[in-house]
Amino acid sequence: MREPDFNALASRLLRNGVAPRHAHRMVNEIRDHYDDLVDAAVDAGRPIRTAREQAGRELGSFDDLVNEVSNRRELKTWAFRYPHAAIIVYPLACLAALPAMPVYAGIANAPVLARWGASLLAAGLLTAGLLLVLQLSILFG
Amino acid sequence: MAKSNPPFMSGVPELLLLRLLENREMYGYELVRAIREVTGEAISLGEGVIYPVLHSLERNGSLKAKRKPVGGRTRVYYALTKQGRGRLEDLQEDWRRIQTGIESALESPSHA
Repeated sequence: MREPDFNALASRLLRNGVAPRHAHRMVNEIRDHYDDLVDAAVDAGRPIRTAREQAGRELGSFDDLVNEVSNRRELKTWAFRYPHAAIIVYPLACLAALPAMPVYAGIANAPVLARWGASLLAAGLLTAGLLLVLQLSILFG
Repeated sequence: MAKSNPPFMSGVPELLLLRLLENREMYGYELVRAIREVTGEAISLGEGVIYPVLHSLERNGSLKAKRKPVGGRTRVYYALTKQGRGRLEDLQEDWRRIQTGIESALESPSHA
């Protein structure tokens, strides 16, 4: 028997709105529990294949587990607990974030922007210098 | 006003877990083994189902979880909080009330 698909379990929990911190920790705990069950069966003299089958049975169905977790509102994300509020709050938060995006982008790329600004300044000064020389040569030439 | 009854079996895993954690911290696998031992295997549940109950108890402040490295694995140990002790007392009281009611129903002559 193959090992239970713990990654699929994590995905199902997340799709059902379980908060990531609970979903990931719970799956890790269940994976460790399964390993403990397999170790105990092997220690009791069962071959590894039988030990895995037994551990899978003792652990129980993942469907039951997903149902049990899904019925516990307190383990869900804020958006799943208050869906009507989320419909209003998320778009508003996005709108509020729009003006902040350029500022955030500027802070995140500050070194690149500083180099770009310095280059523009140098190019401007050089052009102004050349124009000044031309102007002076016209006036006094 | 009479206190309403909690759903019959829904509080049982919670009660057992809080009771077992009253004296020392334990991790999930240890707790399942302990439940089997103290109930004489009268209560058996899909072992994975214990984790949603533990996480809910942690979420409502009855338990606190702590990671500990043990034998190359990181175990999550659960310990009872002060709030959890209060919850345990409430659940024990509810359970005794139901138990008394059922015993009295079983001992009374049938009305059928």
